Amino acid sequence: MSLLWLRVAVLLYGIASLAVLPAALYDRPRWRHIAVPATIAAILFHFVSFAEMLNAAHHMLPVDTHETQALLALLLALAFLLVYWRYKTVSLGVFILPVVVLLTLVPAFRPSHETLQLAHSNWIFLHIALLLAGYACLILSLLASLLYLIQERRLKSRSQATSRIKLPPLETIDQIALNTLLIGLPCMTAGLLIGSAVAAVTVGPAFFLDPKVLLSFAMWIAYVGMIHIRRISGLRGRRAVYLSTFVFFVVVTVWAANSLSAVHRFSSL
Amino acid sequence: MSQNLILLGVNHTTAPIEVRERLAIAPGRLADATRTLLHQPGVREGLILSTCNRVELVTLQEREPTAKADLLRFLDEYFSVPAATIQPHLYEFREREAVRHLFRVASSLDSMVVGEPQILGQVKESYPVAREVGAVAGTLDALLQRAFTVAKRVRTETQIGSNSVSIASVAVDLARKIFGSLQGKTVLLVGAGKMSELAARHLIQHGATSILVSNRTQARAEKLAAEFLHASVTTTVIPYEDLYEQAARADIVITSTGAPQKLFSRSHGQHFLQRRRNRPMFFIDIAVPRDVDPGMNEVEGCFVYDIDDLQQVAQANLADRSREAQSAENIITEEVARYQQRLQSRDAVPAILALQQTAEQVREAELARTLAKLASTGLTPAQQTAIEALTRSLTAKLLHPQLIALRKSAAAPEEE
Repeated sequence: MSLLWLRVAVLLYGIASLAVLPAALYDRPRWRHIAVPATIAAILFHFVSFAEMLNAAHHMLPVDTHETQALLALLLALAFLLVYWRYKTVSLGVFILPVVVLLTLVPAFRPSHETLQLAHSNWIFLHIALLLAGYACLILSLLASLLYLIQERRLKSRSQATSRIKLPPLETIDQIALNTLLIGLPCMTAGLLIGSAVAAVTVGPAFFLDPKVLLSFAMWIAYVGMIHIRRISGLRGRRAVYLSTFVFFVVVTVWAANSLSAVHRFSSL
Repeated sequence: MSQNLILLGVNHTTAPIEVRERLAIAPGRLADATRTLLHQPGVREGLILSTCNRVELVTLQEREPTAKADLLRFLDEYFSVPAATIQPHLYEFREREAVRHLFRVASSLDSMVVGEPQILGQVKESYPVAREVGAVAGTLDALLQRAFTVAKRVRTETQIGSNSVSIASVAVDLARKIFGSLQGKTVLLVGAGKMSELAARHLIQHGATSILVSNRTQARAEKLAAEFLHASVTTTVIPYEDLYEQAARADIVITSTGAPQKLFSRSHGQHFLQRRRNRPMFFIDIAVPRDVDPGMNEVEGCFVYDIDDLQQVAQANLADRSREAQSAENIITEEVARYQQRLQSRDAVPAILALQQTAEQVREAELARTLAKLASTGLTPAQQTAIEALTRSLTAKLLHPQLIALRKSAAAPEEE
């Protein structure tokens, strides 16, 4: 049943992804009235599916790549709604919603047969959820930086005069990019601290020599560094995109480093 | 249609300013003019719309054949403008076309700058004046309310008023695309000029709170700064020699000097951005020859628009409005048809009532006659009630198709 709800959610995310194009790019409010409710409905179905998925598997945390992907997608969709609520813009949905569709597509139609070998604990759930929230903020920030670049180019080339595409003001996009990072930092920091504390208790000091763990701390330093640079120098535009992209690749590397890790490894059931 | 709706007027396309200004009514005199209009023979309801671009009389008339002559006499007597002077410039719309014209005017499709928002406000200002003097009641009231709804629908469903078409408002629009809200933003005026002053005023209206003024002649800078003395705006005069030192304080720089060489170069832009920690700067260069090096636009965070760029944006927006005007015309056509339909349905009500009343009178008379004839047979009360019920039922069944046909014909669109 959880797969059915997830498929419904994918369908609704797909509708929202299409509706957000005229809503964001051509400033058509009617389409916004489709995109936003479709996203809310999709999130509800997604949440139900996720809860049922965990309940059926008798665990409280996402234990395979598909479940983790589904949770990341859920957090991204929530982040999109939060940005809409705070800044009254759906423009970021042009990028975020298709990413959410792609992330949920595989778990919805090709269920996974692998699992993560770790203890079933609420602390681990918190560790994963917080880190995924940190990743979602980073992705959102990267997409906002890209949007900034697009809007900056349009304003410089005067093409906005002839184009009917509407994008949010530069300052608003910049605020979204920076504020999402500022929200993501405590999530990522708490996620890493909780993971480290649990690992110190269950695995012992050897955990801290794990390549994925070391990379995770490097990722945190890169994340903090990026915020520092952005705040101190007011970095925006092209250079902000470069910096966000660099940190994003560090995150992807950490994500992909499961095969190197003794404690984060997925194995076939 | 049972009412005689007649709209007479002149506007910017039919009459030169010399004629329009003779007919213009100051807001203070509008109530008196409307009252006088209402006292004209045959006028049941009336409204006067007087703006700088048009003077229109919207009236509901009882004496249809002489209506135009009556209105011309009113114009002649009230404004002392002979009918012969006005007549060549006058347009006249009746019934359906008058409704269409009123909807187009309220929706700003008949304006000099299509899509400008002021006209709806002006119609809305005339409406309470006319109501107050009792010139607008039933039919005209409903028509005006409908016109407001149509205008709102046009603005919501089309992009007719979304893009600015004047240089000053284009500058504000661009500034908002960069900064979002202009609340608390600082504007630097370099040089003096009517257009730059106008742009600055627009920026203040939209939230800019600080004005810096710099001019080669200190006295002129001070004079210009004095023009902006306003409770919510801080005005500062910057000595010309400190211009480069102070310019980075401004979010928006408007230049309009007569300097033969460029005032701001690309390197100035880089320097300003560095000092502003990359916060964007918007340069509006109204000067000819230009004050700002176009190369500064390549500096990340600097946005430079010269007078040609602004004009180009304004023209593109105007073309956009013309495209949207077509969609707006479709809405108007749809709304005129809907309004007519409602009016016709309303017109059918008296006919339906009259038919029902006649049928009831016939039924009662025939029933009384029959009961009198049968009185000798000693009808029981139950039998009398049954006969009465029979007559009621027969009348209702015979009338039903006629009433349906009447309602349908009233609701059907009027043939052109």
